[in-house]
Amino acid sequence: MEQKIQQSIDPVTASVIQGALQNIAIEMGYKLMRMSYSSIIRESEDFGTALTDAKGNQLAESVQSTPLQSGPIPGYVKNVIEVFERRGTPFKHGDVIMHNDPYGGASHGPDIALIVPVFYGDILIGFSGTTAHHLDVGALSPGSCGIVDAIDVYAEGLQFKAIKVYDGGERNEAVWQILKDNVRAPGMVVGDMEAQVAACQIGAERFIDLVDRFGLQAVDDASEALMDYSERLMRNAIRDVPDGVYSAKTFIDGFLEDPDRRDLPLVVTITISGDEMEVDLEGTAPQVSDRPINMPLIGTVDISIWLTVRSVLLDSDIYGYIPQNSGLTRPITLKVPRGCLANPIFPAPVIARFTPGNQLADTVMKALAGAVPEQVSAGIGNLKVIAFSGLKEETHWVHMEIFEGSYGGRYNRNGMDAVDTLYANTRNNPIEDIESHLPMRVTRYELREDTSGAGRTRGGLGACRAFQFLEPGGFSVEGEGHKFAPWGFKGGNDGKTAELHLIHADGKSESLTSKVPYHTTETGDTFLAIGPSAGGYGEAFERSPEDVYEDVLDELISVETAERDYGVIISHGKLDLEATAKRRHA
Amino acid sequence: MKLIGVDVGGTFTDLVLFDSNTGATFTHKTPTTPHNPSEGVMSGINELCRRFSVDRKSIDHIYHGTTTATNTMLEHDGAVCGMITNEGYRDIIHIGRHQRPQHFSIQQEIPWQDRPLVKRRWRKTVAHRIAPPHGEVLVPLDENAVRQAAETFKANDIDAIAICFLFAFLDPSHEHRARDIVLEVYPEAFVTCSSDVSPQFREFERFTTTAINAYIGPKVRNYVTMLEENIADQGYSADLHIMGSNGGLATSAMVAEKPVLTILSGPAAGVMGGAWSGGQSERHSLITFDVGGTSADIGIIQHGQFAEASPRDTWIAGFPLMVPMIDIHTIGAGGGSIAYQDKGGAFKVGPRSAGARPGPSCYGFGGDQPTVTDANLALGRLDPDNFLGGEMMLDQAKANQVIDNLANELSMDRLSCAEGIITIVNSAMANAIRSRTVQRGLDPREFSLMAFGGGGPLQASEVAAMLAIPEVIVPPHPGITSAIGLLTTDIKYDAIRTAFQVSGQVSHDRVEAMFSEMEGQLARQFRADNIPDNDVEFLRYADIRYVGQGYELRVKIDGKYFDNNAEKQLFDQFEKQHQTEYGRSFPDSPKEIVNVRVSGIGTSTKLEKQDTPSSGSIDDARVKVAQCVFRHGAELKTFDTAIYQRGKLPLDEKVEGPAIILQQDTTTVVRPGDSFHIDQQGNMLISINS
Repeated sequence: MEQKIQQSIDPVTASVIQGALQNIAIEMGYKLMRMSYSSIIRESEDFGTALTDAKGNQLAESVQSTPLQSGPIPGYVKNVIEVFERRGTPFKHGDVIMHNDPYGGASHGPDIALIVPVFYGDILIGFSGTTAHHLDVGALSPGSCGIVDAIDVYAEGLQFKAIKVYDGGERNEAVWQILKDNVRAPGMVVGDMEAQVAACQIGAERFIDLVDRFGLQAVDDASEALMDYSERLMRNAIRDVPDGVYSAKTFIDGFLEDPDRRDLPLVVTITISGDEMEVDLEGTAPQVSDRPINMPLIGTVDISIWLTVRSVLLDSDIYGYIPQNSGLTRPITLKVPRGCLANPIFPAPVIARFTPGNQLADTVMKALAGAVPEQVSAGIGNLKVIAFSGLKEETHWVHMEIFEGSYGGRYNRNGMDAVDTLYANTRNNPIEDIESHLPMRVTRYELREDTSGAGRTRGGLGACRAFQFLEPGGFSVEGEGHKFAPWGFKGGNDGKTAELHLIHADGKSESLTSKVPYHTTETGDTFLAIGPSAGGYGEAFERSPEDVYEDVLDELISVETAERDYGVIISHGKLDLEATAKRRHA
Repeated sequence: MKLIGVDVGGTFTDLVLFDSNTGATFTHKTPTTPHNPSEGVMSGINELCRRFSVDRKSIDHIYHGTTTATNTMLEHDGAVCGMITNEGYRDIIHIGRHQRPQHFSIQQEIPWQDRPLVKRRWRKTVAHRIAPPHGEVLVPLDENAVRQAAETFKANDIDAIAICFLFAFLDPSHEHRARDIVLEVYPEAFVTCSSDVSPQFREFERFTTTAINAYIGPKVRNYVTMLEENIADQGYSADLHIMGSNGGLATSAMVAEKPVLTILSGPAAGVMGGAWSGGQSERHSLITFDVGGTSADIGIIQHGQFAEASPRDTWIAGFPLMVPMIDIHTIGAGGGSIAYQDKGGAFKVGPRSAGARPGPSCYGFGGDQPTVTDANLALGRLDPDNFLGGEMMLDQAKANQVIDNLANELSMDRLSCAEGIITIVNSAMANAIRSRTVQRGLDPREFSLMAFGGGGPLQASEVAAMLAIPEVIVPPHPGITSAIGLLTTDIKYDAIRTAFQVSGQVSHDRVEAMFSEMEGQLARQFRADNIPDNDVEFLRYADIRYVGQGYELRVKIDGKYFDNNAEKQLFDQFEKQHQTEYGRSFPDSPKEIVNVRVSGIGTSTKLEKQDTPSSGSIDDARVKVAQCVFRHGAELKTFDTAIYQRGKLPLDEKVEGPAIILQQDTTTVVRPGDSFHIDQQGNMLISINS
């Protein structure tokens, strides 16, 4: 390597300290995941843990958490620091601070952070933070997703704006009591918060041990070197992208039954100049002031953009694991008009920002596709989050499930089938766990055959998953992708939109849109989600006939599709290469 | 009684023979034959008997550690498999947990989608469904559809078949019925049921485990059968046992049926061997530290017992695996790990490795990248003339040259760069140990670090110092610890059932019935293996969590009968373990028994003690004094360092470091300020001054 790198710490000590920081964040994640109660944290892994420096710059994050959770922690911490300064409140040893203000760095209200300031002697050296998606935060209907009819942030549930739930080691019982009295399923919610506190405290302890071992100066220098390192990697990667302006536009459903609140554009314009990148969202639809599909700029929009840029330009499959920290984002400037969907003005509601944010990530990828076509996938199938709930002896049960999407075809590989996409990477719940603990039955879970976008590499297939209620209950839905199919790329076909059906016990079926506010159900009602299939990459006629035949044998596509979309002729179960060649050149 | 332990490694097949009548042990090494490892095993056994004039007929048992199962998975060359599963759920093993292995990657592979164990076309669905809590039949099994599937498999020569039904752990009879139908149609097929392989909840993991069993089944079965035949054909009357991942031996018949139990056969034997060697010196709290060319395996021994992995943390070749296994933490750091400067300018070591070929640059097989071994050589910690007992010369100039290249890139001098490589790899190893100790509430200062494998004793003292571990132990034959481990364990079978019983409402009768049913099942197995009832012991365990949690802790149950007292003792113990592991417990929260488990242990003859070396003298042992570089505070310093032949060292005589101790299978480094002695049991004990 030509360029010599100046740093104030020797590379060996830097490497050792960085490994140790990473190890701490992983331990925090491990403990939080294993101690927590609600399946959204322990099975879906919708949580994050991180360490920051005293200014809130991220030093290390847990590798097991979903990216949309660890990423925002520095934003939470920075806002807490600001609020404390404004209030004149000092940080004290033994404090635990609760924060979920979506206009103050939080990703959205249900992702509640617990943050512990870390002191070395009297010096504040950093913060140990965790976030987790909580089952219920006291919004207008059960669960903390699918609250698609909230008209402002007050309707989204409790707001904690830098509240000390432990003050200098003393538990603030009043706050905990208010919390317990105002959320459904308080046992689970508080249990999960206790697990978060424990994980933060472990992180703080280990951070102090680390400073004991290496000294404050060395840890500071190593942290600075780590951020510089990540910054350098990102700058190198951006430098490899041809200078230019790359733009893309996609649409979200919004509320399909409401002419004023549907078909909303997301527009991304990326300007590459040397080793810097600007991401401009000019042209994106104005905010929807009374429906919660707006996306907090800090906590959702920034994470969505960074995640996508990093996954495309510094793909970990090629570059190996790169430490996520504040350095990685220094070369990227965001320009987001105030008052648009991606930079709403208080108190516009935001609780259902999950799928619009993932669509934004897809739009960023679509813009990058113009610059680095071999490093992207064709359009992804977006996700859905669904809260199922019911009452048992005056106590709520709530179960949240994220419904998978799919990835578009890639330069050298087919798209991934039935997975979480882009900034989400949670896990489903085992059928055998759900049915053993809830009055529900999963009556189907398999691939959605013959739907993927055709291409030289095909799009991933969505999944069909059905839940049947064994007792009366209810559900609410936030999702996307019912109207706009995932985009095909370089001649590949578009994928297929998602669907949602409620099939009643008597066999009658109704189709639902991608956003459903709380809806009651009767015993025997079945909720069928048909996931989106993603876009194809490249000309379908260039796909090798053998690969098409394999897909037919696996019943991923039909014989008819093979002929129509791929020009591949299969007769009597055998691949007919001659007829295929003729058909393809017709 | 005479026993042979034979462990197949990447390069060598190691053998140990123990004669319980005389107490004598003999060791032997022969090259591994990768195309068919049983050839190396047979020639090794023959050579061993010839070399030490042992009558073939006099061998009673052969205990074997095999990598056949592991390699079949790593090389992805198992059987073409079929699966029969419930209608509506064809793609459980394809969708998995709908999570991508990597967060930040568009181009990644998903192992279960890109290289499926059972292709979709061979996943046949049949009408059938049962439901919790007791296995109520919602849809009866469509036996005709099963028969049709079997006929399709037969017509297509698909002879490894997994039967995977939802909730089969509640009632295995439907899977068994399907299996019987398949075998009627296709008697020569290898058929395996999820309720037999891993009867516990979590369908993706259980189905995948079952598919793995089918995938590796024919290959492992053939291997074991062939080896057994060869043993008999060549005049031995010994029976064959295989080491399981659970730290116990299994009969060849058991392994032929459930090969998935042997995925960690070799590494498990290593942990057992390390535990046993430490036990010889009355050390019962040990961290086993097995360092080879590409990886380091770490195991934890408390009270002489190894820890078992959480079934949610066990993986092979990217696939989840849900069977009882020793908790072995493997990281990609070893003697062949390559040091480099990455694109961001950071100094990195591993996980890429030069392996055995081309190997480290100093081997002279064409390697030209700096490795951990090259760094050790540059620092004077390896003696170029005395590597592997002098069998191989190391190229000092080449090592210096590749280190210099990297040092230039990093603007460092040669020695700082070489020492940096060692420090970085050691700290990765220390972090791995920390994750299994400090992070689980265990204090490393209460352990000894048991170092073996070719690279363990080279790195151990510095790793121990980083963790404030007070003592490093190097056994007499660090290179054959796995083979020794084979002779130190018992026959062991596990049974498991998912119970889902919540505190306050536990049905003692139901739980007791599960326990006795499992014990009955295992007892029948032991009888089939000709192990007398008197030699069999059953241990009961339960996997417990707070209601709502998703991860369980394994708790041992004392007492023969599961009653109120046993339940109370069980939940109390769970609270304690939760406190230790996570630093918290929640005594007011309800608890749930998720699984109940029984380990059956059939006592077998074991190795009694280590070779006691004859005592020599320091002067005889000292080969020379060389210049070695160590870190001294913030500085690097060159020390006059005595180099000793281990075999000639006196017993119980304290020797001050720095020192390098040579022996056939490894080199041990003792730092300045540390000291060591060889004890009466033959172990080298190094006291670490941290």
